[in-house]
Amino acid sequence: MASVAGGAAETPPAAPKDPEHSLRVPSRRQLLQRVVSLREGSIIVVTIVTAIYFSANTSSFFTGANFETLLPYFAPFAILAAGEVFVMILGEIDLSIGAMYLFAPILFHKLATSAGMGLVPGVIATLLVVMAVGALNGFFVAVVGINSFVTTLAMLFTFEGLALIISHGTPVPTPGGQVPLDTFGKVFGGGIYSELIWAVAIVAILQVVLTFTRWGLYTVAIGSNKLGAAEAGVQVKLVMIRNYMLCALTAGLVGIFEAVRSATVQPDPAGANEILFLAVAAGVIGGTLLTGGSGTVVGALIGALFLGILKDGLILQGVNANYLLFYTGLAVIVAMTANVYVGRARRGHTGSG
Amino acid sequence: MVDPAEPPGAIPPAEAPDVVAPASAADDVLRVEHIAKRFGPVTALRDVNLHLKKGEVLGLLGDNGAGKSTLIKIISGFQKQDSGEMTLRGQPYAPKSVDDARAKGIDTVYQDLALIDELSVYHNLFLRRERVFRPVPLLNNRQMKRQARTALDEIGINIPQIDVAVARLSGGQRQAIAVARTVNGDADIILLDEPLAAMGAKEGAQILDLVARLKDEGNVSIIMILHNYVHVLQACDRVSMIQDGVIALDKPTSETSVEELTDIVVNEYRRAREEAHNEEAREAQARQGQEAG
Repeated sequence: MASVAGGAAETPPAAPKDPEHSLRVPSRRQLLQRVVSLREGSIIVVTIVTAIYFSANTSSFFTGANFETLLPYFAPFAILAAGEVFVMILGEIDLSIGAMYLFAPILFHKLATSAGMGLVPGVIATLLVVMAVGALNGFFVAVVGINSFVTTLAMLFTFEGLALIISHGTPVPTPGGQVPLDTFGKVFGGGIYSELIWAVAIVAILQVVLTFTRWGLYTVAIGSNKLGAAEAGVQVKLVMIRNYMLCALTAGLVGIFEAVRSATVQPDPAGANEILFLAVAAGVIGGTLLTGGSGTVVGALIGALFLGILKDGLILQGVNANYLLFYTGLAVIVAMTANVYVGRARRGHTGSG
Repeated sequence: MVDPAEPPGAIPPAEAPDVVAPASAADDVLRVEHIAKRFGPVTALRDVNLHLKKGEVLGLLGDNGAGKSTLIKIISGFQKQDSGEMTLRGQPYAPKSVDDARAKGIDTVYQDLALIDELSVYHNLFLRRERVFRPVPLLNNRQMKRQARTALDEIGINIPQIDVAVARLSGGQRQAIAVARTVNGDADIILLDEPLAAMGAKEGAQILDLVARLKDEGNVSIIMILHNYVHVLQACDRVSMIQDGVIALDKPTSETSVEELTDIVVNEYRRAREEAHNEEAREAQARQGQEAG
């Protein structure tokens, strides 16, 4: 277990000759151990290594222009994954975020333009509807007791279908997405850094919620021991429904951002499904367990960053577009393998029995 | 232990004459009257009457599946009875939830401990009673750590690190934390569902010591499910035995013995076996009758 950290330290373990001293001044080995023992530690290392690799191999990777290219490759996924993490920690899954991503901008168009609600009220109404769908997800999973994979798969089909029905399958211009962008467009996804700022803010807030509030504590408690949490008095169903609403909200928000950014609402379920799976992948790569009980929102951001860097780097390297998905799959396997081993080292290293 | 002189036909009915249901309820903090509970085709509790005096330690005995845990879960507000009433300090008591029961002063250590493996010792100790800052309700981890340390020291439970996940602790330490969580609350009625399960002799003795100390302080009343009759006689003031969904015995521990308790159980086994046997015979007869007809 110590071999992961031990292999990287040049000096043989400067381990406790004088235990009190080593407590006060952490050695390089201990510092490294501390970073690696973070839940996000392994993916941070893997992401940095990947970034260094592409910087060394392509002249254009480490440039401001490329940073702007990179943003849409990861910011939306970071927001989606941040919401998904709250469901994954429960030990559940939400596949319907693909549908919310697709459905929200179409509904937004209907409300803002066709129904004449205007931009901001349109966004608010859309997000309320999307959250109601999330509550429905939570109801079926927590109250009725249908498996979350099945429930949210059904909801994925239903709402992607509904998106096709109400849009008649034809793309429409996004309300507020026309160039030149006004303030609304710049704030809601159109500005270059808009999605990045949203992503950082949402991730920061949700990480605080997860670590420092009762809501976060109960989310972990339910994922770790659902019956025990209920016996201790945690309102399990309520927390689960709330998390599904949060997850749907982030997905709907990203759907609107992306539609504003591309100026068009595209009724494209296949594309939405790909985004759904990349968001789940970002969460998992970031160190959140699909089995529940443990997870990190910051990790999801870094997981999304890793996937973004990988895609961007491979494109810059001139990799044939047909190979992109193949390499992404391999990289996910490699990153997850690293995660598993570092995770074991982490549990072993603090575990004293 | 089975008296060989006893004629095989003399099987006592489920409702033994030993049950003393006191008419006066003045000194009872908790009374359970005619509680029944079914789970589909299974009758867990038929008609249970139970009472608990202030400061008393009541041992609840019964075979596996006799309904002890169900009764505990009804009192603790986790499940609802199908029929029957409860009174708490003279007032009607119908808890809407675990939180509600806890607010009324009843707290429980469940058989499965209800510990959250992934959370730290202090988060487990304060689950549903978290200390938070005002006005922004962020968790006040420092205060919880300090209070957890004090509480564990007071109880006399040795947990070296309180910020490790409880998954890393031994079975006995986990049990101790579950007990400490309950004792640490404001409850004056504590329900312990097999507090000595998964414990070594030494750790078990610590828990029994803790129960004895709580009894001496006299502020709490305790209902405790136990399997070991020696422990029951040592730790409890009174013992109630559930059999077949009713209380089959209710006696002060000073008036009973390991032998008597064992006899009741043995008789119950014989009665149950005979019943099963009779039923088989009846079925066989019915089959024969059908074939003949």
